[in-house]
Amino acid sequence: MTGDASPRADGGSTATGNSDAASTTRPDGGSVTASQNRRWSRSGRALSTLLGRPIVAGVVAVVTAFLTIPVLVAFVSSFAESGSGVLPTGFVTFDHWRKVLGFGDYGVRQNAIPGLTYSLLIATGGMVLNVLIGVPIAYALARYDFYARDWINTFAILPLVPGLILGIAFIQTYPEHGRSSLGLLAGYCLLKSPYMVLTVQSSFQSMDLVRLEESARSLGASWPRTVLTVIVPQARRGIVAGAIITWTLAAAEFNFTHKVASGSPDPFAMFLYRNIATNASYLQSAAAVSVYFLIVVAAIVVLQLLGKRGFSTAHQ
Amino acid sequence: MSDVTLESLTKAYGDEVAVDGIDLTIRDGEILGVVGPSGCGKTTTLRTIAGFETPTYGRVLFDGVDVTHVPPEERNVGLVFQSYALFDTMTVRENVAFGPKMQGVPKAERRERADDLLALLDIAELADRRPTTLSGGQQQRVGLARALAIEPHVLLLDEPMTGLDAELKTRLRDEIGELLADLEVTALYVTHDQEEAMAMCDRIAVLADGTLEQVGSPAEIYRRPANPFVANFVGSSSLLAGVAENGHVDLGFTELPVAAETDGSVQVAARPAAFELGEGPIEAKVTDVTYLGDRTRLTATLPDDTTVTLHADGIDGYRIGESIPLSIDEQRVHILE
Repeated sequence: MTGDASPRADGGSTATGNSDAASTTRPDGGSVTASQNRRWSRSGRALSTLLGRPIVAGVVAVVTAFLTIPVLVAFVSSFAESGSGVLPTGFVTFDHWRKVLGFGDYGVRQNAIPGLTYSLLIATGGMVLNVLIGVPIAYALARYDFYARDWINTFAILPLVPGLILGIAFIQTYPEHGRSSLGLLAGYCLLKSPYMVLTVQSSFQSMDLVRLEESARSLGASWPRTVLTVIVPQARRGIVAGAIITWTLAAAEFNFTHKVASGSPDPFAMFLYRNIATNASYLQSAAAVSVYFLIVVAAIVVLQLLGKRGFSTAHQ
Repeated sequence: MSDVTLESLTKAYGDEVAVDGIDLTIRDGEILGVVGPSGCGKTTTLRTIAGFETPTYGRVLFDGVDVTHVPPEERNVGLVFQSYALFDTMTVRENVAFGPKMQGVPKAERRERADDLLALLDIAELADRRPTTLSGGQQQRVGLARALAIEPHVLLLDEPMTGLDAELKTRLRDEIGELLADLEVTALYVTHDQEEAMAMCDRIAVLADGTLEQVGSPAEIYRRPANPFVANFVGSSSLLAGVAENGHVDLGFTELPVAAETDGSVQVAARPAAFELGEGPIEAKVTDVTYLGDRTRLTATLPDDTTVTLHADGIDGYRIGESIPLSIDEQRVHILE
């Protein structure tokens, strides 16, 4: 070999010599010229670095496309006249939207807006209940150590009950509350509370709860005031995240709603059901689903704005 | 007047006694350091004074008033933690003004008080920043300002400088020591860094296993340790065994012209500074050499197999196995009675 040879980390060795004719023996007995070695020594270990990033970016792009293209196609097609071919044609028409929302005379379909508003309210109610109940639970689990804490923790964060089962059980236990808003509220709260507890708990766990509490108390704040003005605001990101998740899941909950909802007004889930499962055209379903997505996006934006403004009561 | 008295303070958790009958007074305006090995009860003592632990037995008195069962928010104690525990959702100024706000101080006045304290601690320019954007040293100053803002009866500092680099520590130590002296604040300073305690505190209390071993000025603790534990814990110390008789102490391989209070066998505590290297009647054999920059620490064995710690200047080329002559300066030893 000519030139200096230096051992590589993987046991092979490279010649940093200057002649292309120089060659090194590989561990498996084959031999390789110096220039090829130089390429490897520069990019051999770097192969994964070179390709890694594009691969990851590619995967992200594919997954994002997979998730968003159907939504976009549905949204766009809802404004088309016909969707029998591969691509929808005949833009732009609002007929499907009107049919779905119950405007104009399309037979027996009623105005869907009251139903949607009702749904919004119930989902928000369920979310608020979850904040009120979930935040203290999450705090207790993160802050204190008590008998059976780990078991309670497990039950609090696992969404164990399927909506259908809860719905049936609810009707059987409270037949008089069967078809009522109260039932829906209770169900939404109970079904989605684990998501709130989980997100908020992880927020609390990342804070030094004991020291914060002691600092505030030594400065003269009573324990309730400490929790409300110092500790909870510091967890607001988790609370907002939990609220968003809870709200959207409650709005989309079908199984429970189907069992418990009264005739009118129709909550979201029933609204979607009627427009997809029954004799609705494909584009009508697209419109219905688009309505849903619009409302969900609006809710998320609103909750995030609320969260940014903060619950802080500390003013100077 | 702002003093704190602990009377027979005892705290037990089931069978485990964390603090065992401590009688201690933090005098008005003094900075009392509390040192001791891990688990000695220094943090428990601090928390009891703050009100977060209720003693199993004994009392805590502020200016003679029993506050043992008074909740923390009514005691007016200032706390500074190692982890700062600043309120992230508020600005620095709001953090500092939090205490006065709880006290009902009107907005303009508490803003002024906050700004004054921030200026005193040299961080006036950080007033509108959030704690998460600050460095460790800056956060520590904010924590201190926040605790001082309530004009506390006593300031309790729990290892506040752990986690800061050495140069910053030295600088902060001097600044804070001066500040607390100027403000005449009564303070309890818990630390495991002895140098810090010696430099900052007016008196030091040494704790071990929940009991108070000794309390005194840094000089007293260092030069006249009350027992082998204190002698060994604060600074390095070598313990020599000897017999005291007729005004001198016989160590076997040499005699020291120091008088003990009672005759009989005694222990003599000798700091590294008590040994003079290079000449003398004692032959010591070097067993370990550690170069520390400004000095070299040597471990050596005396003729009676006692291990001693010595300090030599910088690089003096001592080698393991070498024999060096020593003499002991009798002015610098202390007989443990």
